[in-house]
Amino acid sequence: MSVVRVMGPDSAPGPAVPWRKVLWERQPFPDNYVDQRFLEELRRNEGIRQYRYWAVVKEAGFVGQQLSCVAIFITLWLYMEQGLLSPERLLLTSLVCALLGYGLHQALTSQMESGCELRTRLADLQSATIFLSFTFGFSPVLKTLTESVSTDTVYAMSAVMLLAHLVSFPYAHPSTPGSLSLNAALFASVCLASRLPGALHTFAMLSCALLVFAMWPCLLQRLRENAPSQFTGLCVGVCIGGVGGLGSQSPGGAVLLALALGSVTLLCPLLLVMLQRHKDNIQGPWDEAEIHEDISHFLH
Amino acid sequence: MVLKIFFPQCCNRADSGLLVGRWISGHDSAVVLAVIHYPFIPGQVKQYVQQVSAKSGVELSVLGSWSLPKEGQEGMESFLRDLSTIFPQQRWLQIHREIGKTGFTCEVLNRDQSKTTFANMLLLVQMFQTVATSQPLFFMDRYDDGPLKSTHWQSEGREASIIVELLKQASVPLCLLISWLLSIWTWICNIRIFSLYPLRWLSSKLSTCVQLSYKTEHMRTLSSAKPAAGHTQFMRKANILVSFLVDVALGMLLISWLYRDNHIAMLANTLVPAADHVAKELDELLQWLMGAPAGLKMNRALDQVLGRFFLYHIHLWISYIHLMSPFIEGILWYGGLSACLGLTFALSLLSDMVALLTFHIYCFYVYGARLYCLKIYGLSSLWRLFRGKKWNVLRQRVDSCSYDLDQLFIGTLLFTVLLFLLPTTALYYLVFTLLRLVVVLFQGVLHLSVDFINSFPLFAVGLRIFRPYRLAEGVKFRVLCEEPGTALHLLMEINPLKFSTVVQMYRTPTYSCYPKDSWAALVKKLFVGELIYPWRHKTIKTE
Repeated sequence: MSVVRVMGPDSAPGPAVPWRKVLWERQPFPDNYVDQRFLEELRRNEGIRQYRYWAVVKEAGFVGQQLSCVAIFITLWLYMEQGLLSPERLLLTSLVCALLGYGLHQALTSQMESGCELRTRLADLQSATIFLSFTFGFSPVLKTLTESVSTDTVYAMSAVMLLAHLVSFPYAHPSTPGSLSLNAALFASVCLASRLPGALHTFAMLSCALLVFAMWPCLLQRLRENAPSQFTGLCVGVCIGGVGGLGSQSPGGAVLLALALGSVTLLCPLLLVMLQRHKDNIQGPWDEAEIHEDISHFLH
Repeated sequence: MVLKIFFPQCCNRADSGLLVGRWISGHDSAVVLAVIHYPFIPGQVKQYVQQVSAKSGVELSVLGSWSLPKEGQEGMESFLRDLSTIFPQQRWLQIHREIGKTGFTCEVLNRDQSKTTFANMLLLVQMFQTVATSQPLFFMDRYDDGPLKSTHWQSEGREASIIVELLKQASVPLCLLISWLLSIWTWICNIRIFSLYPLRWLSSKLSTCVQLSYKTEHMRTLSSAKPAAGHTQFMRKANILVSFLVDVALGMLLISWLYRDNHIAMLANTLVPAADHVAKELDELLQWLMGAPAGLKMNRALDQVLGRFFLYHIHLWISYIHLMSPFIEGILWYGGLSACLGLTFALSLLSDMVALLTFHIYCFYVYGARLYCLKIYGLSSLWRLFRGKKWNVLRQRVDSCSYDLDQLFIGTLLFTVLLFLLPTTALYYLVFTLLRLVVVLFQGVLHLSVDFINSFPLFAVGLRIFRPYRLAEGVKFRVLCEEPGTALHLLMEINPLKFSTVVQMYRTPTYSCYPKDSWAALVKKLFVGELIYPWRHKTIKTE
């Protein structure tokens, strides 16, 4: 073992033995002795990801898309309330869209899992029957629910619920419906639908809400997995449709929506990328131990 | 060495003589039980003392001499000292008093110098025990014609009363009669037809039947053939008897008021209009609820449904009352007769009648509470679904859960419906709960007063007022004479129990009726919608 002369912090020559970072041995150093290898094991910004601007914009487009969905839904409601859209027409359109969407969904799925098609089709038919019959049966009750509640309260509740829906939406994997987001959206749609003049209007609104908030994310998930470029185009299309639809009813709303979309899709990614260089994570041996389960041991 | 001598007060003025009593072993104490006067023959005294010792089982002996010299009795001192040679004792007491002075002079002659041991706490207990067990000593009196004349604490006469003696004589055939009646009654009650389930359940709910069974128990205790085993048993029997007599007296008072001046007809005539009035008030209340009560936001459809449902019930009830109205006077007449069994009986009958008359309020309360409870339960469960959580029954906690699409959809719809219908249901529930609470409060007051009459120990309280020395809590000492040169003379008096202790200790245990829940638990139950039965009845304690 070579003997190294170690200099202590007070520039006096230390003893010959090197200092070791152990506690069980009595060493000839004072207790607060600091080695030159101090903070050697500090690691800065270890797992940091380098974000690229346009990739982030593409992901943020999904958030904008959801915002526009909500705007489209509100537009439809505004039309129904003013009597410009009849419930039968909305129902018919929803049915057609649902069938188209279902066909597209099946087309995209059959590439991966085939077999038991008839069973899943029957299960889907059963779910659809349950939805429709339940909604139809409950629509007279739902119609009278908010009769005695004032309009302002209803609007406020719906706004809060839709905001909650947007905040808690599972953007990473929208196929599995997040409970809180779906429930908040449905609650808001029930509140709004009960303000409409007839029971059929309520039924039509609720079916539309089901389509927009429950079925559409499933389709989007499939699209995102299988056709990413088309997915981006679809997001842009939905955003434009939302702004346009809202613009036909209230220009101010359209402007607000456009601003919101712009800030979410363009401004916020810029901020994210710019602020990355201020990131300063430190990791070291003082972190809690994480157990990474490696079951490959057991497979051999 | 401090010598303690317990001396009966009556012997303060007794003529001179010999002291008979007992040395309490282990302490420096003696209990003087009697004074045997001059003239006596020592042999007869010894024989007598041995006789009494054998009969009572207490170790009696001649303790010493007592001298209270009257005029013409000089020269006693030497005589008294000589006496100590006749009666061979280890210690010989000589207590001497002058007429006109309160102080005693006391001398002890010790034959041998045996060491005395320490005193311990059981001195007073042993002293009282000695006095209690030396019964045979107190049969002899100074007015007797025998060879020995003595003075003791019962010489001035024992307490007795003619009424008590007469009652004791009369109680034997009375007890036999009562036990025979009770056996017939028990046989009737045990007939099979009465053991059917609905009747049994009904009889446990009606407070009249409960009172009946309770009184039967009491009668059984009173009329049992064997005498009371201990002080507690005796006091309990006496309390039961006195309470029962007072109860019956109050009942008779009530009867005399009821059957005089045709009060019963008056009561019957006011009953049906009163029931009508109550129904009309309920009707108006429901109409008010079906509108917009207090400006609250009610769901009109549900409001109408619930209101009509309850209105229909009220109409049913009113027709029932009108059907019963010819029979009410008869029922009241026979019901009033039952007060001869006691005021408690009449009160429990009243409580039962109130329960029957307000049965519709009870029904409404149950409907409202069940509906509300269901709604609250559904709402809490669906609220968990709203947040994506679920109640884990196994672990008794809330866990996250991934629901299917249709479950989420239907759950949200139901949640919305229940939430918006909540104010309506809650209002109906509140109104009917308040009504029910009023009735329950009234019944509770009746039950509490019945309970009070049953359990209050009148006999013990009377004993405490008139003969306080029979209920003792301890003794207290008062200094009579503290002159130097004479013995310290203390007066020992019985310290009677305080009234609160008397009531607490001698209360008859009843099926006492007290609130089952604390206030917090009651409020929580009301909030959640659980049915409340606020008064709990304990089962009769059997000893």
